[in-house]
Amino acid sequence: MIATIARKEFIELIRDGRFRWAAAIVLALLVTALLAGAYYQRDLVKQQRAAQAAEQARWYDQGSKNPHSAAHYGLYAFKPRLAPAFLDPGVEPYTGIAVWLEAHKQNETIFRPSEDATVAQRFGDMTVALVLQTVVPLVIIMLGFNTFAGERERGTLRQLLSVGLRARDLATGKLLGSAAALALIAGPAILLGATTIALIGPAGGELRFMLLAVAYLLYLGIFLFLTLAVSARSSSSRLALVVLLAFWAVNCLLAPRIMSDFAAELHPLPEGVAFKARLQAALHDPAGPSIMMRDRTAELLHRYRVTREQDLPLNLAGLSLQVGEDYGYEVFGKFYNELYAPMEAQVGLLQRAAALFPQLGIQAISMGLAGTDLAQHRDFTRAAEEHRRAELKVINDDILEHPVKAGDMHFGDHDLWAKVPAFRYQAPAVGWVLSNHALTFVLLVLWFGLAACFAWTGAARLRPL
Amino acid sequence: MLRTEHLTKRFNSFTAVDDLCLNVAAGEIFALLGPNGAGKTTTINCFLGFLAPDQGRVLVDGLDVNTHALETKRRLAYIPEQVNLYGHFSGVENLAYFNELGGARHDDVTLRKFLCEAGLQADAHDRRVSHYSKGMRQKVGIAMALAKSAKALILDEPTSGLDPSASHEFTVLLQRFAATGAAVLMATHDLFHAKQVANRVGIVRHGKLVHALTAAELSDADLERLYLEVMESGQP
Repeated sequence: MIATIARKEFIELIRDGRFRWAAAIVLALLVTALLAGAYYQRDLVKQQRAAQAAEQARWYDQGSKNPHSAAHYGLYAFKPRLAPAFLDPGVEPYTGIAVWLEAHKQNETIFRPSEDATVAQRFGDMTVALVLQTVVPLVIIMLGFNTFAGERERGTLRQLLSVGLRARDLATGKLLGSAAALALIAGPAILLGATTIALIGPAGGELRFMLLAVAYLLYLGIFLFLTLAVSARSSSSRLALVVLLAFWAVNCLLAPRIMSDFAAELHPLPEGVAFKARLQAALHDPAGPSIMMRDRTAELLHRYRVTREQDLPLNLAGLSLQVGEDYGYEVFGKFYNELYAPMEAQVGLLQRAAALFPQLGIQAISMGLAGTDLAQHRDFTRAAEEHRRAELKVINDDILEHPVKAGDMHFGDHDLWAKVPAFRYQAPAVGWVLSNHALTFVLLVLWFGLAACFAWTGAARLRPL
Repeated sequence: MLRTEHLTKRFNSFTAVDDLCLNVAAGEIFALLGPNGAGKTTTINCFLGFLAPDQGRVLVDGLDVNTHALETKRRLAYIPEQVNLYGHFSGVENLAYFNELGGARHDDVTLRKFLCEAGLQADAHDRRVSHYSKGMRQKVGIAMALAKSAKALILDEPTSGLDPSASHEFTVLLQRFAATGAAVLMATHDLFHAKQVANRVGIVRHGKLVHALTAAELSDADLERLYLEVMESGQP
């Protein structure tokens, strides 16, 4: 009986011109977003690989020069893109995708696509994530708001219940039929996404893509259940449509903006100019490195069993530079923590707000699995900073180990540059991402369960009168 | 086959059906006459299990509707004033769908045979129902009852809005259906149609059955006079 209802519901939707148009529009939007994202990703990955190789070659081939000059010469580290990143660019357009590694400074990431955005792009990029998070729920509402309310209005519900049909069987059949019709949109979209990922790479994003598909099916399932629930409980299809559209507008349009503003108000970032001024003041505080320099010099004197600095077989300029860096690490660490702490608190608040608005949950999970959320951005900057520190240690140790007479200068060569390993960034494992978003996943599953219960109980109470 | 025992149904302080006792035997057509608000549709809703009685019992084939909801519905066919079908489906598809939900399964040929028996032209079977007239929809409703082998048929204002020819065709179909041994309970405003088709006529007012007579006992003029007397008397 349930299969009969599901089959009828499916055929009825397919024959409905509204469904055909909606499916065509959604598929066109998804294909456009997929192709645009894939094209951008392919281009970006190619450019990044070429730039990273050129940077490395430039580093190795910089010729003979003072090692500290080489440290200032610096090099770029690029955040490698994960395959599913083209589905959801996340925070990358605002945080940037490359960092300039040089002596004395822990730079912020640069090359932010948003800086190059045209005026039209201020209205938002057409991404697969946007279509799935905003457009498809609207299509589900438009197709499903009259599922039960319409039956009641047309009088077919009375006809159905008069033949001895149980309301729950009707609800289950309708749910399966609607889901099958929506699968006609979701199926090709998932297949196309998987094919695009396989074609453009980089490899290794399959698991993330599959989990993304599951998360989006969960999110869209919430909308399907809510639509059926509201339709079952509404006295008219017009009322059902108004209620569902109001929920859609609040969830998909208002909540992301209002909650972001609220989070920013609750956890404000440090004021930019004052923050930079304080950072500079702390970096240039002479008291900080001088104590560190005194202690480390004393340690070297003790190790080499001498009492005067000039008797050390070392170039203390190298020590001074390293001490300056070590002091800088502490200062940068403290200040960047101060900067990131409110950002992470804001993100945490937005994730918890998924308890009220599922859109915020899927947004967070989507960015996480695409590798474009704040946590993974921070992980990249941490890895880049570790690389910078390793590079400076190699350089400063080389300076330290090469004492020079007054007026002379030590030069580094290719062998020294080759001691600095190429920057290789390994994105966090899927397990790490999932653990970051465990609460959000739980909230989405709860939404799904509650929406299903809401639909189930609503359908069980269906009355034809 | 269709029976109410002291059926009473109230909506807050309004009593829609008041101690109603009815019995429609197999093969009989019983017309329930009355003005709007007399309790005809409420009685039908009680037979369909859409409303629970406040007092009394409603029985179909000896089974209480309240305690045997699914079983009684399996024995019933219901044709409302407007047979509501799915516009994107053809007549035969609608029949197949409702038939399967009612627990019966027939092949395509048999379903078409039922449609033909119900008077629907073969060339209309595969046309979408959205293009059907009201009379054609009513015929699909009759075909549903035939396909279900229903023991009882309940109709709510079935000929309202039908042209005389379609109404006559429908009357013939009903009589043919009753001749198979099914009980037919029909709520209507149409005195003359009721007289023409029914074996017995009941007149209800304020939820009470005030007269129940066989059609043979009444001439058209008697029925009209009786009906108007009841309506104008202000009391049952």
